[in-house]
Formats: sequence, C-alpha cells, structure tokens
Amino acid sequence: MSIIEQPPIVTSPEYERMSTARKAEVVRELCLLLGDRHVLHSPYDLTLYEYDASIDRGTPDIVVLPASSQEVAGIVKVAARYGVPVVPRGAGTGLSGGAIPLYGGIVIVFARMNRILEVDYANLRAVVQPGLVNLHLSTALNPQGFYYVPDPSSQRSCTIGGNVGENAGGPHTLIYGVTTNHVLGLEVVTPDGEIIEVGGWTQDRPGYDLTGLLIGSEGTLCIVTKIITRIVHLAEAVKTMVAVFDAMDDASNTVSEIIASGVIPAAIEMMDQMILQAVEADTHAGYPMDAAAVLLMEAEGMRESVAEQIEQIVSICNKHHARVVRIAATEAERQLLWAGRKNAFGAVGRISPEFYVQDGVVPRTKLPYVLRRVNEICSQYGLKVGNVFHAGDGNLHPLILFDSQIPGEVERVRQAGHEILQVCAEAGGTITGEHGIGIEKQEEMALIFSETDLRVMQQVRMAWNPQQLFNPGKLFPRPGRCADIKQL
Amino acid sequence: MGEIDILVRTLQQQVPAAQATTDTETLRNYTIDGLLPRLVVTPGTVEEMAQVIALTSRQSLTLLARGGGSRMNLGGLPEHIDVLVETNKLAHLLEHEGPDLTCHVEAGITLAALQAQLATKGQRLALDPPDARQATIGGLLATNASGPKRLRYGSARDLVIGLRVIQANGEIARSGGRVVKNVAGYDLNKLYIGSLGTLGVIVETNFKLHPLPLAEHTFLLTYTNAEDAMQTVTAILGSQLTPSALELIDAGAASDMADFFGFNLPTNGYTLAINFEGSPTTIGRQMDETRLLARRHNALMGDDLEGTEQERFWDVVREHTQGSLTCKVSILVSRIAPYLQQVEQICRRRNLEAAIVSHVGNGILYIELRPSDAVPRLVESIAELRMHAQEARGSLVVERCPVELKRRISIWGEPGSDFPMMQRLKQQFDPTGTFVKGRFLGGL
Repeated sequence: MSIIEQPPIVTSPEYERMSTARKAEVVRELCLLLGDRHVLHSPYDLTLYEYDASIDRGTPDIVVLPASSQEVAGIVKVAARYGVPVVPRGAGTGLSGGAIPLYGGIVIVFARMNRILEVDYANLRAVVQPGLVNLHLSTALNPQGFYYVPDPSSQRSCTIGGNVGENAGGPHTLIYGVTTNHVLGLEVVTPDGEIIEVGGWTQDRPGYDLTGLLIGSEGTLCIVTKIITRIVHLAEAVKTMVAVFDAMDDASNTVSEIIASGVIPAAIEMMDQMILQAVEADTHAGYPMDAAAVLLMEAEGMRESVAEQIEQIVSICNKHHARVVRIAATEAERQLLWAGRKNAFGAVGRISPEFYVQDGVVPRTKLPYVLRRVNEICSQYGLKVGNVFHAGDGNLHPLILFDSQIPGEVERVRQAGHEILQVCAEAGGTITGEHGIGIEKQEEMALIFSETDLRVMQQVRMAWNPQQLFNPGKLFPRPGRCADIKQL
Repeated sequence: MGEIDILVRTLQQQVPAAQATTDTETLRNYTIDGLLPRLVVTPGTVEEMAQVIALTSRQSLTLLARGGGSRMNLGGLPEHIDVLVETNKLAHLLEHEGPDLTCHVEAGITLAALQAQLATKGQRLALDPPDARQATIGGLLATNASGPKRLRYGSARDLVIGLRVIQANGEIARSGGRVVKNVAGYDLNKLYIGSLGTLGVIVETNFKLHPLPLAEHTFLLTYTNAEDAMQTVTAILGSQLTPSALELIDAGAASDMADFFGFNLPTNGYTLAINFEGSPTTIGRQMDETRLLARRHNALMGDDLEGTEQERFWDVVREHTQGSLTCKVSILVSRIAPYLQQVEQICRRRNLEAAIVSHVGNGILYIELRPSDAVPRLVESIAELRMHAQEARGSLVVERCPVELKRRISIWGEPGSDFPMMQRLKQQFDPTGTFVKGRFLGGL
C-alpha cells in the first residue's frame, strides 16, 4: 500500500472558486457570445452536471452549450482571460470522473454539436461533431451497409467526442481496435482558443502524430470540435454463441487458449454467476443462472471464415468442459444476448444500491490467476463482486457492490479497487483499458509509471496546456488526495 | 574539437564498454547527406546508451541514433551531427509471450531476425517494410516505415503497445505497457512513432503479434488504364473481401521489375497485385470473387504466385518504394486514378520518367522520378505534384532524394496549423537541442 503514502508529484494548481461578482461577469460575457438560453448558471440548472457515471462529484459554476467550433474557441478565450477552468462533457457516462469539474469553472456540453457533417462511402470516412451519440453514427450508416466500430456498452448515450477524450473501447474492439485505431483526424481548440487541425482524411501526415497523442488525453490538452473517422463495411455473416461453464477457471482457460490458438473472434465477453443472475432477472435473455461463468463470443466476417472460427471455438470450449455451447439461431436471439451483456451494469442496480467498476487489464494468460485474486481481495474486505468483461483483451471489469450509507464501506471499496489494480500491475498489466484515469485512478498511475515516465507525460501537458485550465486536477497523481481518501 | 575530446575521454572513463571512434575513415561510412558525424559510439546495453546520451547532452553536443542505416537519409538536411549512436548491439528478443500474442524486444534487432525468432512459435509482427534484413525495429518505428500489408494489419501505431525511450537528458521513460489494451496516461507511443529521433531514442518495444497465416496467395491482374484498375480496387474495398495487400504497379515500375529482377509484368498499362492470407477455403472464395469483379472491370488475368516466387515478388515490390528519388504521396483512394494522370502529364511536360508502386487500398503512392539529377525540372514537378496531392486532401513527402536536390526543395511540405504545438512539444522534450535538428518537418 506504499503507493498511497508516497509523496505525490505536485502537478495542478489549486483553483479558488470564482467569487459571485466574477461569476456574474463571466456569465455576462458568455451570454453575449452564446445567447442567454445557452448559458446555465443557476444552482438548479447546474445540479445535473455535477456528476457522471463515476463515484465522484463536483459542481460547475457555469454550463455552456455552444453550437459551433468558433463558439467553443470563444468560450475558451473568455475562460483563459478570467483564469477559469474548462471541462468538456459528452453524455456524462464516463466511469473515471473525466467530466467532473473538480475546481468548478465552465463545463462545455456538446448536445448542440451533434451532427454528422459528411460521409464519404467511397473513401470510407465520416466527419462528425463531438456531441454525436456513438450509436447514431452506426444507425445512420447501416442502411448503406457500413458502421462505426468502437462500441462502448454505453453507446446508446455516450458521444463520439467523449469516446475520443477517453480512447473508448467496447466488446467489438478485439480485432478491430479501439477509438485511436479508427480516428484519423481532429479539429481541436487549444487552451489559447485557437482552432487547429491535426491529422486529416489521409494516412501518414507529415509531422508528429498529434491525433494519436490527443485521443485519450481526457480533456486535459484540448477540446475536440470535429472528428474524422474511418467507417467499415458490415460483415456478411455474424454468429454469436454462448458457452456455459461450471468453473470460472475453465472459462478463463478457454479464453487463453482461443487467443493462443490464433483464432481472434470479433468479441469474447465473460460474465460470472452474480452478473448472470442480475442480467437474467433484468433482460430474460436465456442465460443460465446456475452457471459459474458464461462466455459470450462472436465471430464475424466471411461465411467461410465464420464457420471455421465457430468450429475451432466450440472444440476449445468442449476441451475445457463447457457444459453447453449454444449458437444463437436467430437475429432476435443474438440481439437479446447482447442486450443482456450491454445492460449488465444497469441490471446490477437490481441487486445493489451502488456499485464500483474497475477497469484493469492483464495478459490474457494471467486471467485465471487474476480473477481468483479479485475474488479473494473482495472477500477479504467483505464485499460482493461480479465480473463482466472483455475477456479477449484481458480487460477486467469487476463490479464491487456497496452501499454508501454503511459507514466505512466506500473506503473499503476504494481500497479493494486499489488492491485489484495492484494485482493487475504486478501481473504485467495496466490500470485502465478503456475507462481512463480521470480522478479515479490518479494515485494508481504510480503502480505502472515511474516518476520519470510521469514527468515526460507532464511535459506534454506543459506544451499544450501550460496554465492547466483544461480539465485541471485529473490524470496525474495530485496532492491532498491521500487525505481525501482517509476522510471518507 | 574541444567538447568532442572531452566527451570521448569521459566516455572512456565512465562507459568503457561502449565502443567509440573518431577515425575519419570509419566515420565516412556513416555519412548522412554528405555530412560526417564527429564521433560514432556503439553502446552494448540500454543503460550504456542512456549514459552516452546524458554525457553528450551535458557537453551540449548533438546526437542522432542509427539502426541498420537503411533510412538515414529520410528528411531534410541535418544541421550538425556530433555523435552518432548505434543501436545494433541492443538486439535481443527479451520476451516472446506466445500465448498472449505479444513480445518485448530491443530496438537494435533487425526486422528479419525478429521475424525468424517469432516464427518458431508460429507468429509474426505484421509489419512488412522494405529492407527487413538491414532495417532495425528502432529505425522502423522512428521513420514509421510500413509495407503493402498495412492494408489489413495497419501500421506501427496499430501494433506498438509499449516503448522505452531515452530522453534528451539520458533518463529512460516508458510509455504504454505489455497489454493489448491500455489507456493509462497520454499515448506517447504515437508521439514517438515517426518522430525521426527528434524527441528521444527508442530502445525497447512491446508489440502486439499475429499468428502466421495458414496459407497465402497472390495473383496478378493487368489493365490498360488506371481507371479500370481503381474501379476494381474500390469494388474490392466495398465488398466482403479482406485482402492483405492491394498493390498497383505502373508501366515504369513494371519495366524495372522486368529488367532488374526478371519479373515478366506487362510494360504498358497497370498491374494490380492482390494478396490474400488465411485458410485455403477463404482464400479460394476470395480469389473467385475477385476474378469476377476484375472481369467486370476489363482486367486480363495474369500470374498466380505462391511460395518463394511470391515472397520474391513482394520483396521486389517493397524494394521499389526506394529509388534514388522517391516521393511518398498519401491521398484519398478515389483520387488515385486522376492523380496518376496528373503525374503522367507533368512528366511528359517536363521530360521526366516516373515509376510508381502504390499501396492503393491505403491511398499511398511511391513515385520514383528520373533522371534524379534534373534538378530544376524536378523542383517544379515536385511542387506541382505536392499541390495536386493537397487538393486531394493529402500530402507529399520526398522520402529519398539526392543531396543537391534536397537543398532546393521542401522535403515535408509546409507545416500546417498544428505546427506551433509540435514546436512546443519539441521544446519540452528537448529543450537544449540535443537531438539533431533540420531533418524533420519544419526543421524540428
């Protein structure tokens, strides 16, 4: 537990909240820029924006809803002039606190910048605004036979701008890659309020790969105002199957062997018994409630290759004592199985008032060991845990159930989460596969990065965001955090 | 020569194991664009390399890393090179986690040596740039080298999962990690890839690997014009087919391949080479469907290639991206056919010859222009070609070029609106200018 006690690297200035008079001045300027309707500043209006899907909270002073890149640039210039922090917000579905305005200030909401600007089917490109809901892009492309690959479970509400900020993944990123493998260019606003373009429509542009650097920078370097993405042809054949196991280890060993054999399906998701019970009660997708674990797997591509993959996968499942392997017979059945998986977090709400989801990644061969350790750690802390995750990538999502009304429970949850990430780091893995560092895992950065590593990352922030007005207090270990935890 | 002598002496005392030479005859072998380094150092370990860089930086001298030396002439003219550090002794495959499909390797290993070791477990790194026997992993990453199969597997940015990079002050920093999915901290891997040694020296890499394909097959189609060939390409890209490479070879390149390598490609019109990998069943179906599409677009069926002949064919194609004057053009796929026409017109007007091989599925063209000493005509032609590339939402980089011409043209083109941010990054990473300047975009 040495990490929490180590002296943190001081990174962020502590901002003072705006005085009432100053806030009134900033509000007046923003109203001139955007119109009164698009500047929210009453306590009643602001409440909605003080949380995301993490367990942290923070109230903004002002919320703005710009309609164009120029308006975003204008907002940033006002903020820079008054020294007010700026936090971009998509749909607020983030799990690491990326959209929480830790020091108040201005939250930019992209609900009005939600259009698809251009689709070029011949060149497989789409240009979209950051507020576009992830699923809406695929829905628009599907009739022409195309889609956008990254599919976070929150894709019905999360925005592509938020996905870029967090470098979001999803179940189907196993073969096709995450957001950074699909976004080719961005238009962004710098902390000086300049609108610049990075990357573009074509590949290998001269100069540093700033697109790659900015994706996943969690709003700490720039504000994204336009996104150029790759689009992909829908596969002719998709087969989804469920393999049921009576022992968790059998399921994990199956995953390891599938990957090691070189078969790389479109998705391999694992759900354990606790999750299965919650999901089945919620979605009635036909998952067995008495199984120790289920693998939800999908093969897609050409009919022949799907058939070959299915054959190999089934034989590996059987070798590892799968009780049954069922292939979805109809599209409706397939959709239902996925609905169960994608609503899993919500379903857990039926059995626990609150839960905390972790996002560690481990080498896939270490899954059996790490899953055992996760269960041991949670039982040591007297906490219930369920696992629903992207097994094919080795990306764990333990859901720790808790009730914040019970004194000390939140603290135990955080400690258990920390220990789980420690196990992931020790197993050669990482502390976040797709949710981001945000506020949640700032201290854990030290589990995988040395002081030198972190200093080099801070150079990047110094280059882009020297005043630290963009999403301050995130991503890096920060002073005072240790005290926060102990007070909880 | 004062600081160099001090550095040599310090190196002898503090890093005695690292070989260092100031012998002019030896240095001549390391000439870059006519410029000689003043000292060549060959550290034996990553730690020694870090010490060499720290000491060089302390003497306010400049440093450039060298792998296999196959792409040292990429970029603009270097301003001044004091120390050239070689990575070729850092050539170990540190770990090959076969069942995880990942590996951890030192940067000085050649691509061919790495592939040979990975192949013992039935795996490979899915990168296929030219010169695999000479080029090192570090050099490939620093120059963001790629090959025809990037169509299916992507480029270095899609395959690197972790890096260890020596910073300008000699500290060693890690980015990314060992696992295939990771969003912890800034994605510095992307920043280092293709940064041409201006931000740090890459010493170790973690890669995501692919299994070797069960089978592989290439077949050739020939066309009388580029439009028909590109319509076939567009039809393939918009279909269920998943070729690993789609390469368009023009008459100029085909005649080189015939003259120098004995490949009998038609020397008028265009050859489209299509590579499929996978199981025999899926390859079979893809070949059948491609033939149907090709007939619809007036293709003539050419040779089928397998085994060593296939390997040699792709070696020659890759080799052909490296003439004495080669421009790399990246444009939209839909603009390739008209662009090829523009190239033809420009060459005719200026009495130049072109030989072009293109990763057409990715919109990347390697245009060799000849004669490479026709400086005034080339200067104008390259400017014009760049303008047309930019009109097609793309870019033109002069990847290989004689020194006389280099003095007269812009290698990378004019920097865009994001250049001030690149300068600020360079300033943060290398505040005292340890890494040799002049070669990268805008002289970074």
